[in-house]
Amino acid sequence: QTTGLVGLAVAENPHERLRILYTKILGVLQNIPKDAAYRKYTEQIVNERFDLVKKETDVQKLQDKLNSGQIEEVIVQAENELSLARKMIQWKPWEPLVEEPPSDQWRWPI
Amino acid sequence: TVRPKNEVEQKQLCAFGEYVAEILPKYIQQVQVTCFNELELLIHPDGIIPVLTFLRDHTNAQFKSLADLTAVDVPSRQYRFEIVYNLLSLRFNSRIRVKTYTDELTPVDSAVSVHKAANWYEREVWDMYGVFFANHPDLRRILTDYGFEGHPFRKDFPLSGYVEV
Repeated sequence: QTTGLVGLAVAENPHERLRILYTKILGVLQNIPKDAAYRKYTEQIVNERFDLVKKETDVQKLQDKLNSGQIEEVIVQAENELSLARKMIQWKPWEPLVEEPPSDQWRWPI
Repeated sequence: TVRPKNEVEQKQLCAFGEYVAEILPKYIQQVQVTCFNELELLIHPDGIIPVLTFLRDHTNAQFKSLADLTAVDVPSRQYRFEIVYNLLSLRFNSRIRVKTYTDELTPVDSAVSVHKAANWYEREVWDMYGVFFANHPDLRRILTDYGFEGHPFRKDFPLSGYVEV
């Protein structure tokens, strides 16, 4: 019983952990305005993965269906997504552009 | 011989570029895909840390690896230095380039909090170009000699330097 990756321990009860993480992410996303593209796409991704986790109880088959590496990697990715969602609430990237660049800034060749 | 055009990859990169531009309209000024299938995001300097964290943490864009951090000096522009970040996604096997701009005196946020690998790269950009990185843990010279004055990679620095050796 090993993940095969250095530094990642085997997760016992991954379904429970993923369930908790995905509910937390969806809770955090409620604080973002409804029309933000980040909220739309992240909810779509999280709901898809959540449905797959709920339906499939076998770990191997779940890994194949998610097609995203080991279950422990999926758990790490969900934790990253949660921290990103919390930071997004502070940064608010759905607002319009902060400042236009000078007109010759991105012209190439000069 | 000419490299054959890969239309499928070009379309995928264009679609991904539009996806990212839709999620982060506050910082992304332009998105372009070169003819060699390289995606570039042109950013406002305030948005370095948000964009890099988004690209590292989001499920559809797991760009966990910072491959390169450089600067380009174009003296005729108002913001003469262009900072370039090259990221690699191991999960999806794809690369992306993030570009920002600054002039000689404006500090830029350090990417060390997002990617530990940026540490020495930012020291090199400081040493060679003179771009100051705020919140960098240890910003000092890395390639020039100990008492060296000047920033060698700038376009107005002469080829054989100011001091005779």
